Amino acid sequence: MWAAKRMASTMSASSAALTFELVAKCSTTRARASILTLPHGPVNLPMFMPVATQASLKGLTPEQLEATGCRLCLNNTYHLGLKPGQEVLDAVGGAHKLQGWNHNLLTDSGGFQMVSLLKLATITEEGVRFLSPHDGSPMLLTPEHSMSLQNSIGSDIMMQLDDVLVTTSPDAVRMREAMERSVRWLDRCIAAHKNPDRQNLFCIIQGGLDLDMRRECCREMVARDTPGIAIGGLSGGEAKDDFCKVVATCTELLPELKPRYVMGIGYPEDLVVSVALGADMFDCVWPTRTARFGNAVTKFGVLNIRREKYAADFGPIEEGCGCPCCRPAGEEGMMGITRAFVHHNAAKETVAAHLLTLHNVWYQLDLMRQAREAIIADRYPAFVRQFFEQLYPDRQSYPSWATTALRGVGIDLMDP
Amino acid sequence: MSDESNAPAVMTFEVLKAAVRDGAAARLGRLALAGRKTVIDTPNYFANTSRGTVPHVTPDNISKHLQTGGAYMALEDFIEKPQQYSTRRPPIYDTPTPVPPAKALHNFTAMPPSVITILGARRLPAVPSPMGNSNKSVSVFTSTGFQVLATDEYQAAVQALKPDIAVPLADLTNHTMTPTSKRALRMAERTDDWIKAWFAEQDAVNAEANPTTRVSTFAPVLPINYSIQWEYLERLAEDHFHSLSGLAVYDPDVLPDIASGYPDLLKLPQLSLAAPVTPHHVLRQITLGIDVFVLPFINAVSDSGVALTFSFPPPPSQSTTNPNNEKTGTPGILPLGIDMSSTAHQTDLSPLVDSCTCYTCTSHHRAFIQHLLSAREMLGWTLLQIHNHAVMANFFAGIRQSLSSSSTTTDEEDNEFTKACAAFHTLYEPELPAGMGERPRARGYHFKSEGGKEKSGEKGGKRNKPAWTKFDDEKVTATGQQSSQPPN
Repeated sequence: MWAAKRMASTMSASSAALTFELVAKCSTTRARASILTLPHGPVNLPMFMPVATQASLKGLTPEQLEATGCRLCLNNTYHLGLKPGQEVLDAVGGAHKLQGWNHNLLTDSGGFQMVSLLKLATITEEGVRFLSPHDGSPMLLTPEHSMSLQNSIGSDIMMQLDDVLVTTSPDAVRMREAMERSVRWLDRCIAAHKNPDRQNLFCIIQGGLDLDMRRECCREMVARDTPGIAIGGLSGGEAKDDFCKVVATCTELLPELKPRYVMGIGYPEDLVVSVALGADMFDCVWPTRTARFGNAVTKFGVLNIRREKYAADFGPIEEGCGCPCCRPAGEEGMMGITRAFVHHNAAKETVAAHLLTLHNVWYQLDLMRQAREAIIADRYPAFVRQFFEQLYPDRQSYPSWATTALRGVGIDLMDP
Repeated sequence: MSDESNAPAVMTFEVLKAAVRDGAAARLGRLALAGRKTVIDTPNYFANTSRGTVPHVTPDNISKHLQTGGAYMALEDFIEKPQQYSTRRPPIYDTPTPVPPAKALHNFTAMPPSVITILGARRLPAVPSPMGNSNKSVSVFTSTGFQVLATDEYQAAVQALKPDIAVPLADLTNHTMTPTSKRALRMAERTDDWIKAWFAEQDAVNAEANPTTRVSTFAPVLPINYSIQWEYLERLAEDHFHSLSGLAVYDPDVLPDIASGYPDLLKLPQLSLAAPVTPHHVLRQITLGIDVFVLPFINAVSDSGVALTFSFPPPPSQSTTNPNNEKTGTPGILPLGIDMSSTAHQTDLSPLVDSCTCYTCTSHHRAFIQHLLSAREMLGWTLLQIHNHAVMANFFAGIRQSLSSSSTTTDEEDNEFTKACAAFHTLYEPELPAGMGERPRARGYHFKSEGGKEKSGEKGGKRNKPAWTKFDDEKVTATGQQSSQPPN
């Protein structure tokens, strides 16, 4: 099923519905640049994937999203299973057709929302048992049901149902049970997956913050040879040092010619550090959610445009940004939006949320585009240095988890 | 894109064809604005805005997907005084204008240069003020509450913001109730005083100004009897005709009297601020001689989840049946729009309107719009706005087409446009359908809540469902529908 080719110039590997081509590797860190070819076209890695929870990226038209350069975004299986529901998805012909999106889609398993949003979700060997938000009747999400839903959605990348536990849980026995169950559920997912020729199923490494358990899980999961691999259970409130250790431990063991997806990661610092640790793909609702609270993500940090100091600030949202909001009006398709205008309408007109969403998505995608260029030119360490210099007033303010993690892969931010 | 080399130096309006008869009647025209390349063929409409934006439509989508040639803005949307910063000068007045033509209102709102701006004091429709106006000021409603706007302050704002068209202050009650004759007389007198002061200053400013930044004045025509405001209208016709660029008509039924009293005033473009509530009302105002409309109902319709479906001239009636109307036994009556929130559209992959060429209809389908409305995703309203504006633009294009092919020699009854209007009234339902979709959250500047009705849910009470309630197991099972809207 998995065929790896090693040629003189490039290294690539393909499975039925995916090709992974390694373009460049950083000579200092573990950062990699690659091309992932999916059923709806190629995407450049490393990349950030914005989250279109209910088949819509929070007010942006698919045309506007496409213009940011996005070629792979997320839908949430749990939400689409509720609305419009599996029957409608089948009748319409899947989520691409529903939302008019001709590029790639990735869906989660639905398990995370069951646990995070619903009270009284209990996990048994069979699946996740919960009360229906419609009528309160007991329902069960099994690996088979999750696959069936994701097959109806037709996502280019599907995620296995996993047994998610907060990483900070002190219960080592339960943690081991969750990790081992996730492996068993992967086998059930693989068996239930109806379209392996046109949809890719990714496994999810579990094991909490216990590095040995993570290593064990890596071995088990890798043996099952899925076309891509996710590192799950993170971004649940664990210390950033622990997060970095888990990512570094996993990437060390993962095969080189498969995409590595760290789930639920979205702060710019996290992306830049995770790329250095050898991860390729990230998703998070934070950039789009924070936009709706009036926050702009910029290379100089996050600005709350609702603050009074921006009321008469006629500069662009981010100086030097190339997004359609920040570039001056007069250029084709560019708007010349000022902070004052966003301030004027933040929390009042939906347009302000749309503009910040557009800017923030563009920022995240562009950050990864720049990281990729730096890796290809083999100057990723310099890129990381510059990124932190712009973000923080001085070196003393750098977060210690980031400096520690980066030192582990050969970048010392404190070097003169 | 504005291109000054091709743009006229002063605003021009020509009546290309006065259909049917002289006086107040439907007519074809062409409006060209000083300093802008945009030419507006009339009859036509301008988009209504809220706080300087066409609701739900970002400026890039306005340029790309809306056909509107103008946008009506209200000064009251820009001059609120937040409690902690009550002395601050409204930021809009400090908008830099680095690139000519220096138009602060355009720059502040990022309105594309192809769209002309019309500035009035009040939103459309305006929330009535309990304070009323004085001899030197009007009461306006900002996002932080009612505020007094002095007449000279308004004029200074127009000078600072440089809209393409400004509507001078009128003493309006903004009430559906007809004012008493005493109040109506005072409305006329005050508006007359204010227009004198307006032109005294405006004429001086315009004499100095660069033609590209000249502000065109559309003087208000009050929603009161002609017999009460004729002196004011006489002043417009006799003292200020050459400084006037158009009329802003709050009640088009006054136009026939103006046609007989001061026919010269009808050489000017007539902008309706009377907020017609359906396309039937629009057609009626066109037959009274209105050239351009501001249409608040487009946004209201989109917010309610309705897609407009009518066209002008109407399709031949024999080929049409209305499945929604079987129960009333009146086949042939078509709805003006479709409630897209209905689950009937859940798996319907057809466009909102088959022949429509708008972005929504060419790139998306009914099933998606239905899903977005049901999930309360903001994109639903955006896509409906794009479609509904396209339907309105086509409606006016159809009207112009019909007017241009109408013969002016035949009797009014036999005129093609008159016949098309009659067919439209017969074919389409009189009212827009009430959309069942849950609307976007209403904000404080959209309405004034009235005391004593908070709990009852009647008009004037709470407009929004509470976004969050206490978590309660029994409630969740009882009203399961509510909790089916998790955050992302």
